[in-house]
Formats: sequence, C-alpha cells, structure tokens
Amino acid sequence: MPGREPSPRRDGYAPLRAYAAIGDGRTIALIAEDGSIDWLPLPNLDSPTVFAAVLDSETGGCFTLAPTAPFRVARRYLADTNVLETTFLTDDGEVRVVDAMTILDESLGPFRELQRRVEGIAGRVSMRWQLHPRFGYGQRPTRLELRAGVPIAVSGGDALAICAFDAGRPQIEGGVVGGCFETSPGSRSVVALCMAHQEPLLFPARAELDARFDRTVAAWRTWVAARAPVGPWQGAVTRSALALKLLVHAPSGAVAAAATTSLPEQIGGERNWDYRFCWVRDSAFTLDSLLRLGCAPEAQAYFWWLVHASQLTRPRLQPLYRLDGGARATESSLPLRGYLGSLPVRIGNAAAGQRQLDTYGELLQTAWLYADAGQYIDPDIGARLADIADLVCRLWREPDAGIWEVRSAPAHFTHSKMMCWVALDRAGRLADHGALPRPHVAEWRRQAEEIGEFIELRCVSERRDGYTRSAGSEELDASVLLGLLSGYGDPRSARWGRTVETVRRELGHGPYVYRYTGEDGLAGGEGAFVSCSFWLAEALARVGRLADATALMNDLVELGNDVGLFAEEIEPSTGAFLGNLPQGLSHLSLISAATAIAEESA
Amino acid sequence: MTVWPALAGGFAGTLVLTTILRTASELNLTRMDLPFLLGTAFTADRARAKAVGYAAHFVMGLAFATGYYALFLAVGRHDWWLGAAFGLGQGLFAGTVLVNVLLPLVHPRMGSPLSDATTVALLESPGFMARNYGLRTPAVSLVAHVLYGTVIAVFLTLANR
Repeated sequence: MPGREPSPRRDGYAPLRAYAAIGDGRTIALIAEDGSIDWLPLPNLDSPTVFAAVLDSETGGCFTLAPTAPFRVARRYLADTNVLETTFLTDDGEVRVVDAMTILDESLGPFRELQRRVEGIAGRVSMRWQLHPRFGYGQRPTRLELRAGVPIAVSGGDALAICAFDAGRPQIEGGVVGGCFETSPGSRSVVALCMAHQEPLLFPARAELDARFDRTVAAWRTWVAARAPVGPWQGAVTRSALALKLLVHAPSGAVAAAATTSLPEQIGGERNWDYRFCWVRDSAFTLDSLLRLGCAPEAQAYFWWLVHASQLTRPRLQPLYRLDGGARATESSLPLRGYLGSLPVRIGNAAAGQRQLDTYGELLQTAWLYADAGQYIDPDIGARLADIADLVCRLWREPDAGIWEVRSAPAHFTHSKMMCWVALDRAGRLADHGALPRPHVAEWRRQAEEIGEFIELRCVSERRDGYTRSAGSEELDASVLLGLLSGYGDPRSARWGRTVETVRRELGHGPYVYRYTGEDGLAGGEGAFVSCSFWLAEALARVGRLADATALMNDLVELGNDVGLFAEEIEPSTGAFLGNLPQGLSHLSLISAATAIAEESA
Repeated sequence: MTVWPALAGGFAGTLVLTTILRTASELNLTRMDLPFLLGTAFTADRARAKAVGYAAHFVMGLAFATGYYALFLAVGRHDWWLGAAFGLGQGLFAGTVLVNVLLPLVHPRMGSPLSDATTVALLESPGFMARNYGLRTPAVSLVAHVLYGTVIAVFLTLANR
C-alpha cells in the first residue's frame, strides 16, 4: 500500500511538520496529516478561533474527517492552488479528501466557507467526521442545535452551519457534531462549514458548493499563471508564493508574519508569540518578492497599507501593526494548555512597543524598491519619508531591541546600524530621483558616513575581521547578512566574505543556521531559523560563491514539509518544525534567495 | 399638524434604530442585519445587497412614520410615551409576524416551512422574535423600535410647539 503512516500524535498534538494550510485571503485553516483541522480563526486571521486544538487538544476545538480503520496517507496541493488533497489508503479501499476555503463570487455565499469534499476511489471505506466547535479560543460558550436537520453552532455574533451532503445523518452529542458514511468508487460527499459573523447564516445548495469549489481552484490557477517565472526551484518558489498569498490580508493588503500564535520555538518553552501581525521588518523582502513575482497589484496594496499604517505613529515606526493597519497590539495570555505544554499562549504582541531601528531602513528600502520599479511616490508620502530620514539622523546612536526583538537590555546591534545606514542612503537616492524633498540630503549623507564609521570601527571583530552581533561584542548574528543583502558595503569585500564564512561555520549546522549567539533575555534555546539559512544562500551568491549557494539552496528547498511549507524554525537533530507556520519570512527568504541566485547565475 | 415632522422623525428614528442594531451587532449581541436581509431579497451581490438594503430600510422607516402620523392624528396627541408605545407595538409585530412569518414567505432566498429542495442558497430564517439571530435579539430590537417611535413623537412635539 503506497502512502505513509501519518505522524503519530503526542498527548493529542500532531507534529507541526504535519500541518498544511488552506485559506481564502481572510483566514487560514491548518489541517494535520490525519485529517484534523486544528486551527481556524474566524472571521479573519487575527480573530479568535473556532478550532485551536493545536494550542489545546482538549478544549481548543477541531474538525476531524478520516477513515474509521487504520490508514496510510499521501498529500499534495492540487497543482498551482491552495487546495489540499489528502488520499487515505486503508485495507478496505482508497478515498480522497479535498479541502478548500472557497473564494466568494457573484453568487450569494456564506461569509466564510470551508469545504471538505470526499471522493471514493477504490473499495468501500467507512468514514467518520466529528466537529468540536469552540468559539473564542475555546473560551466562549458555544450552543449547538439542529435547525431543520442542519447542525448549527452559535456563539455571540458568530455562527456556523454544518451542511453535509451524502455524508451521513449529522448528529449532536455532548458538544460534538458528527456523522458516519461509507464511500464507494465514484461516490462524492461534501461537508461544508458555512460561517456567519454579525449576519444571518446562509445555507448553500450542493450545486452552489460545487460551482464555488471549481471557481476557487480556477482562481488560484489564474493567479499562479500570471506570476513571472524566476528560474530554478520554480516549484518551491510557486508554493512559497501561494503560501505568501494566503498570508495577504485581502481587505488591506497587509501581509501577516504567520498564520498562528504561540506555536513554540522550543517545546515546553516560553518563546511563544502571536505572529498574526504585519512586521515592517519584512517589508522590503515582501515588496521585492511581490515585484519579482509580477504581483504589481499586491505590491501596490502592500505599500499603501504600509504608508497608511505608519501614518498613525509617524515619523516613528512601530515594529509591527495590525492587519487592519491599527497600531494597538496589547499582549495577553490565554488560559489554554499550549502546544505540548508550551506556555504562555499569547495573543497580541508586546514587541509593538519596542524600539527597533532597523524598521526605518526596511521602510525606506521598501520605498526605494517601489520607486525603482516605476511606481509613483506622491509629494505627501515623500515628505513623510523625509521626516523618517530626519528621525533616523537623531536616533541611530541609541541602542535598540534589534531585529530579533530581544527582551534583554537594548544594545547597539550591528544589523540595526546597517539598516540605519540603508535608510539614509535610500533617502538620498530617493531625493536624487525627486521622490523626496532635498533640503536635508547633505545631512543624511553625512550621518550615513558617520554610521558607516561606527560600524566599521565598533561592530567588527578584530579576531575574525567580520561583523559581530553588536558594538564591542564578539557574539555573532546571522541578521548582519541582511546588511549585505540590503546593500550595505561592497559584497565582494574581504570583510563581507569573511563574515559570511564565519556565520556559516559558527552559526551553521549543515544547511541549518541559528540566529545568534549570546543573551536575549529569555530562558531556554530554540531551533535553527529557516530564514537565516536562505539569507546565507543568498549571501553566498552575492559574495561570489555561486556553487556553494546553489548547493545550499538545493538542500534547503528539501527541508519543507510534505506539501512544501516552512515554519519559522527547524530542529536540526530531528527535522521537527518549531514556531509559527506557515511563516511568511521563511517563504519570502526562499523566493529572494532563489531569484538572487538565478540573477547571479545569469 | 403636517406630515413633514413625522417624516423627518421617521428618517432620524431609522438612523437611531439602524445605529442601535449595528452597535449591538458589533457587541456580539445579535446577528440580525436588516439591510442585508432586505437587500438580499433583490440581489445576490453582497455589497449591492447592503446598499439596496439600507435604502429599503429608510424607505420603510419613512412609510411606517406616515402610519404613526395617522395614528397620532386619530388619537389627537403625540406624546413621547405614546410614540414609545407605538414603537413597542411595532417591534413586537415585526418580531412575531413581519420578520418571523411574512418575510420568509416573500423573501426569495430565505428558508421557510414551505422550502423544499432548491439550487440556491437559503438565508437563515429569523424564527420567533428573530431569536435565531441571537437570544438577545428581541431585547435589542424592541429597544431600537421604542426609540424609533419616541423620536417620531418628539419631532412632532417640537414642530407643533
């Protein structure tokens, strides 16, 4: 029997590597190999969940659908889509489950809709589905009732209708809605979750479900067909682009850092964060990737979101903003047990209040990329960007929390200083293009020179002749590679060459790369950071070590899970995923590295 | 006493009623969305349905205001408490008959006891006092309608001082 055994659950928790993601541009569901949907916020990605078993297997809520007999499993996304196909193989036969969050069209459809479509392939397979809806991260009371034979789950302003077609007679028992049915070759069943938020429910007809599913598949394929080819690793790049598209919050154009909160960076540890916000830190990578992929509308929407969101705090920037552009991200803890006991489970993110100087460089680099692609920066935005450059002139001598948002004392992080240099350099270039007012250009250039002197004198290890984590320290940090990728210094200089080699030798572990050495104010350790590996591959290409870059990239694209998704981190000894997923920065870095290596190879 | 103050009051009262329902919806007290319910009777396009629904809602608000005006004329007074009582009566009528029984019968996309196999989506029917949209819906709806009636009476009182 082909396929493989599904990864076993431990204390009710599937390995993070076992999750695939489906979404509709508003929210994302995570589906484990065993057919259980263990994560689904409603109505938006940053809303409370109806399924959160990945954070509490007892009270979080989930939606299981699988054969009743032991099974093997094979998964893939339908080609060029975010529609997941899971094939279950049992001794009795074979059955295919196709999961999709459908995209609304001109017909009157539910507010959000998740379809689970079951097709009998061979033999007769007994299937069971069970739904444990638990609104409000499992904390809000949920009322279950049957209305004209249709199970309904209601909690405050949210409601869910479970519309089952040829999937057994739904029954409600003990807070669970479920049904059993048997497949035969050619049989087709559907269980659809039709969700309402602050409006009446809609109960779609079977024909409408079918039509909407077909249109959803077609919509994804149309989107992929319009993307520009980017050379080798096209399959991994396309999957990354699709994962990124899932994380784009359709109403605003913001890109969430990941789909989840509090999936741990160390099992049982405290490094659990809510990533359902948009980080300015990721902006240059995001815009660059969108432009390289030919996603001009998404790039424009994203830039405008960035400008709109940062207006609230201007000229200062928060490290992150809400997906709707709001600035508040108050952090609190939920009374959930956490993934394999990893506590606390946080919502909100206190990093919003940190000072991270690198964000200014990221924003101005983003503006530069945007303008360089021929897009127009109007005088009002230009004046605001100039204010930000002036602010960088005043702030760059201050210590900050750095790109990694350490919770230890602020420091003079090398990466932050490099990005301050990038901020002022790009401000000058934008002014040369007429996109920014010119009165302060000379001052920006003078301050940029001072920053460069500071970096070259204070942020370099005499012993290694390479860049260190922070001024006056001998610690290492892979984030300095971003300085290289953003254009700080000459990539072919000996210092950059030695820095890249040092990062590879001392932070690397095979294809894996850890973020940094030294203190960060938190207890425990963490896995290797996926993005750092891709940054290293790109840096190798930029310093001229193309063969090494290509070899590393070949290794890296194999590190994703069975459907090509990446989490934030990977434990090198086991290959286990750690941290939130799917992680936008991991996929952005993959796209960036693949395109950079292709460029250098050309 | 002319009908114009009643119409102005009907417009203002509908504004108040709509605001209360929308606020209650944001506070997760109810899923009742009158513009959506009314608009989907005319179109399947969500955005258009809401626009049409708001327009229809205000037209109905004005139409009911003329009915209130006739009642005030008939009883020869238009005290605020009388307006509130009319609003309470309308709220009860809307919850028990208008929205609960009549709307599902005439709404082409709403399920009713007469619904059978169909190829189009059906909207969740309101149920008695629209409680299908949340158990607090009757209270929210009655408060909103009482204020609607009160506003019309107050407009008439102010105009006839």
